[in-house]
Amino acid sequence: MSSFKEIALKDSCFRAGSTLCPGCMESVAFQNIGRVTDNGVKTIFTIGTSCAEVSTLAFPNVVAWGRGDDSSDDFGKSFSILHNVFESAPTLAEATRDVADALMDCGALDRKVQIISTGGDGGAFSIGLRTLLHTIHRRARVTIVILVNEIFANTGFQYSPATMPYADTSTTPAEGAPGNMNPPLDYIHLAIAAGAGMVAQLSPAHGKMFVKAIERSLEVEGTAVIFVPAPCISGWKFEDGQTVELALLGARSGVFPAFTWERGKGGSVKDCSIEASERPDVVDFLAMQRRFAHLVQRDKVTGEVKPKPGREQDIENLKGWVQGNVERMYSLANLK
Amino acid sequence: MSTIGIEHGPTTHVATPGGERYDILNLERVKQAHIPFYPNQEDVTADGNTAAAIATLQMWRALIYPGFPITPSTKWIETVAAKVGAQKGTKKRVKLLEAEHAVADYMVGAGAACRDLIFSTATSSVGLDHMTETTRSLGASGLGNVMIINVYRATANFPLCIEGDPSDAMAHRDDGFIQICARGKQQIYDTVIQAPCLGMHPEVMTPTMPGYYGIKDSHRNSRFTVESDGAIHEFQDRWLQPCHLPGTINGDTAMGNCVTSRHFQGFKINQKRRIERVLDILPQIGADFEKTFGRPGLRFFDETAWPEAGPVDIAVVGMGPDYGTFESVREAWAKKNNVSVSGLALRLLNPFPRDAYREKLQRAKVVLVVNQAHHSGRGHLTLDVADALAGIEPQPRIVSAFAGMGGADVSEATWEAMLDEAKDALTTAPRQPYMVFHEGARL
Repeated sequence: MSSFKEIALKDSCFRAGSTLCPGCMESVAFQNIGRVTDNGVKTIFTIGTSCAEVSTLAFPNVVAWGRGDDSSDDFGKSFSILHNVFESAPTLAEATRDVADALMDCGALDRKVQIISTGGDGGAFSIGLRTLLHTIHRRARVTIVILVNEIFANTGFQYSPATMPYADTSTTPAEGAPGNMNPPLDYIHLAIAAGAGMVAQLSPAHGKMFVKAIERSLEVEGTAVIFVPAPCISGWKFEDGQTVELALLGARSGVFPAFTWERGKGGSVKDCSIEASERPDVVDFLAMQRRFAHLVQRDKVTGEVKPKPGREQDIENLKGWVQGNVERMYSLANLK
Repeated sequence: MSTIGIEHGPTTHVATPGGERYDILNLERVKQAHIPFYPNQEDVTADGNTAAAIATLQMWRALIYPGFPITPSTKWIETVAAKVGAQKGTKKRVKLLEAEHAVADYMVGAGAACRDLIFSTATSSVGLDHMTETTRSLGASGLGNVMIINVYRATANFPLCIEGDPSDAMAHRDDGFIQICARGKQQIYDTVIQAPCLGMHPEVMTPTMPGYYGIKDSHRNSRFTVESDGAIHEFQDRWLQPCHLPGTINGDTAMGNCVTSRHFQGFKINQKRRIERVLDILPQIGADFEKTFGRPGLRFFDETAWPEAGPVDIAVVGMGPDYGTFESVREAWAKKNNVSVSGLALRLLNPFPRDAYREKLQRAKVVLVVNQAHHSGRGHLTLDVADALAGIEPQPRIVSAFAGMGGADVSEATWEAMLDEAKDALTTAPRQPYMVFHEGARL
């Protein structure tokens, strides 16, 4: 295992040139994953259709992927990217792993490869839930990174099964309607139940934990699944420069607590108390985003965040959901 | 850099249009790891699915067999699983996935991982439909090392029937695959052996879809010759060289990713150009196969009773095992009606060899085209034949028939009824744009 400083100084294969929105958490995640994978082992990324694909790989325009400008004599620094339809990334990764293993089994390949599948809400929780769960179920030795922005951002910020309650999306509008009323899919529990070897919920806002989890995921037996809470500046409607702050607040307030778990070892919730009184108030998280502007408002004089008149019960309901979410995460951590 | 305990120095690599390709694969080791299923030539009695399975198993480049069951193709994956499971020490693996769509996705990942290995599966009907989102990607992918064996069955599952006509194959003609129809177990076996040589040809690089009729050919037994694994390898090795483009394992490359509009347009043109090359390459592979094994190889169509030169009264265009019934009634019916009758049994469905049909059929006064798949108009084959004959003077009259729909046997009586209509067309124009025949009668 490398130290955090060593990883931070590595050459990321994700570089400048993407057309992701400035401040997008996905680019921060890729920069860090790119550094972790600069470890001498050839990396193969499989990627489902998503912002992360269409905004980073518009060949032959500038693409945001590469290590150095010249071809390398070092195969371990090379990497490949394979894209297919929305839901396919886990299966593509599994297939790549199988081929590498089969070639090694024959003695036709003597170099290790590391395989990382990436995708978003649609590719993992909607059209791609089947592929996600079955690749996990088959214990494919791959890392699956899911960038969870709680919407279908690439198609215009529609509801996804990870959308938190009351959120205003383009298909669960809050104007004259309550916003999203479906509780989010319990995807962390699903991944554990399907047989994952490792499951984490971490964003790069928890920098050291994040890169350590990615590094660990490349070594773990079975399938490692990393859910990356990814505040979406355009879909969540917050101010430029607040991405990391918002991700930290979301984790600490209990909306998406930092969580790591390994089969046979159990897990833990980090930086998020089970006691609501010891956590930041979720209304502070809501107040930073205009997708909740129908629920809360900030007093222009005092800066205090309050429920909008008539939405007090909705806020209480939301707090109840957050408390249940935190307690659920603590329960999941006890699973072996 | 240490990876699996081995220190590696600089790796030989070359720049290709698809990115860097590293010399890290020793394919000879894959070949050496192959344990023959048939050390010697052998006559076997089996069904069509088994014939296709044996052919795929004998290829040393085939290491992984992804699959998902659907009637009537299920026995392909069952046979592969049984034979791989029974072969001690084999490096081959069976990969059971959760759905046909996953199988198609898997083929993308596997085919891209190593372009020099062959990945085959078998499916049918709604299974092929379920794959469609990705078969369309595969068709454009350049992954000629992917082969989907299509066991024909109607696509519409309403109402449900496990038998069926080739409407699945017809519905997927624009997926971008090379589609080849086989009839009879020997032809099924031989077609599967040759298909990768065509698909992986550097000028073609297009996935293949050999097909045969469900139940009629997939489930009925007959005797056929299985060549030795060594002979198969020798034949395929003449045609298959290491791919000049990198895969995801041995390359520094991106595949299938987003591109600009201009680049996409060029890519689509290139896809079209590659599949056009099938028309030149396929006969070469077929001729080499025939020279090697003494049986007909890939060709555009099988010919029945064509004279060396001169006109014929009626030419029949059909496909599949029911064409054999035509072959059995042809001579007696022709003699009784005092007309000459020839026939073409379709082999290459996609790309449709328009010029070859034109050259042959322009000698006919009437062309009877037998369509077995559902079509809202005159029939898929009819439209292709009409296109092939466009502009010929005098234009052969086309009699368009639908028969065998829903998997019905095209009986001798049905063939005779269709030939009777074709005979009438020698003197008068067909009464309708198309006619439907069933159980010996025109409906």
